[in-house]
Amino acid sequence: MYLKVNDIEKAYDGHPILQPLSFGVPKGKVLSVLGRSGSGKTTLLKIIAGLETPDAGTIYLEDQEITNWSPQKRGIVYLYQEPLLFPHLSVQENIGFGLTVRKVAPNIKNDLVNEMMDHLGLIEHRSKMPDHLSGGQKQRVAFGRALIISPKVMLLDEPFAALDNQTRMQMQVMFKRMATRHNITALFVTHDIKEAIIMGEELACIRDGHWQLYHSIKSFLQDHLTGVQDEINFWKKLDP
Amino acid sequence: MTRKLSRLALWVIVLFPFGFILTLSFGQRWPYPRLFPQSWTLSNWIEIGQSGAGITSSFWLSLSLSLSVAIIATTLSFWGSRQIAFHPQKQVLLRFAYFPYVFAPVILAACLQYFFVRSGLYGQLAGVLIAQLCITIPYGLLFFSSFWNPKRKAMEESVYTLGGNVWQAYRMVLIPTARPTILTCFFQLFLISWFEYGLTQLIGVGKVDTLTLRVFQYVNESNIFLAALASVLLIMPPIVLLWLNKRYIFRLNTNKDLL
Repeated sequence: MYLKVNDIEKAYDGHPILQPLSFGVPKGKVLSVLGRSGSGKTTLLKIIAGLETPDAGTIYLEDQEITNWSPQKRGIVYLYQEPLLFPHLSVQENIGFGLTVRKVAPNIKNDLVNEMMDHLGLIEHRSKMPDHLSGGQKQRVAFGRALIISPKVMLLDEPFAALDNQTRMQMQVMFKRMATRHNITALFVTHDIKEAIIMGEELACIRDGHWQLYHSIKSFLQDHLTGVQDEINFWKKLDP
Repeated sequence: MTRKLSRLALWVIVLFPFGFILTLSFGQRWPYPRLFPQSWTLSNWIEIGQSGAGITSSFWLSLSLSLSVAIIATTLSFWGSRQIAFHPQKQVLLRFAYFPYVFAPVILAACLQYFFVRSGLYGQLAGVLIAQLCITIPYGLLFFSSFWNPKRKAMEESVYTLGGNVWQAYRMVLIPTARPTILTCFFQLFLISWFEYGLTQLIGVGKVDTLTLRVFQYVNESNIFLAALASVLLIMPPIVLLWLNKRYIFRLNTNKDLL
């Protein structure tokens, strides 16, 4: 496994958030993680990103233990529900931020930023400031900013939750296209069943800190705890 | 017409004290019951330009002291408020920051006096600087406490996962996005230090002769002309700061809706 999580545990004030959980993600695969608010999915992502420390357990990336590594060293980018663009930087400066902190030569940086903006359809917005962009455009910039540094793993914490339905669908298509092009290894957290199925090659569910991995869509659909059957029944009832 | 007159009256009320002090700084001999000073002269101003009469040196001393206090306190309180904001005991720590204001700065100074005497800082410029930091840093901590929120933290974390270090997070993201807030805090801390009297008098024992102390000294000596002159010098930097604030900071705040 490219990314391996072994027996990770976390509790706050004695209240367990994550029960010992283990899983792995192969290189170039997207694992969708479904979970309700407060189920511990954000805590899990933050632990993998190095932004929180686990109470127990280990994390391996490319067969190296990274449990105690700083976020900077891991090469794992965390994308929040909000794009969190830097408000004082333009679109191109935001996208090139990861290269700026790595002190990449300006000419190489410009080429990479232009290429990324071209892929994301942001060329005409290059000089705009974040507050002049729509929600979808902001999220595309956030993706570009993450992708340009070729992260080993991307952690996406409900990145499309704040978008309207149409923009959300466009972003899902865009992410799938970019994931294939860049061979992205990712954990995609969502509370939307349909989005989880669309985005992930594998599916997992996190409930009250417990982890359930589904190796096929069929097994995911059959488990009544995922809520898929309730959803299907709801739509069937509406069928005239 | 009424509005124009009201506006004029307002300007007169606001500007009168400044005009009066400035006029008075050019006066000489003002016996009762004359409405205005007996004669007008530039000699007060020439005197401070030549011999200094101590006022010029007090002006530069005050300016360097207040700038040092404002720079050190703004820097430390910006960094410190970040540490407190995300600390599990945030509320307890913030309560300590209210201490100097609950007891009043002079009482705080009286409490700390023993330590200043023991450490040889009593009557020294360094002592006054440290004493002023004791009241300005808590002010800065309280000022910045509302600046830090979960969104700022997430933004800082974004810098780390993108490969940036702490220094880069501050230099490239946190400080630029906080610039208007930092400048406002800097100005306020400068003004607190600039007009500070009790604490400076108590710890400086009159040896650290700031401009504010000098104004009080002239007032006590009934030297109203030199007191007026020192007052003009005293209000000059705050007026410059107000102008800068209106011209640059206010514009930054209104043009850029940061977070």
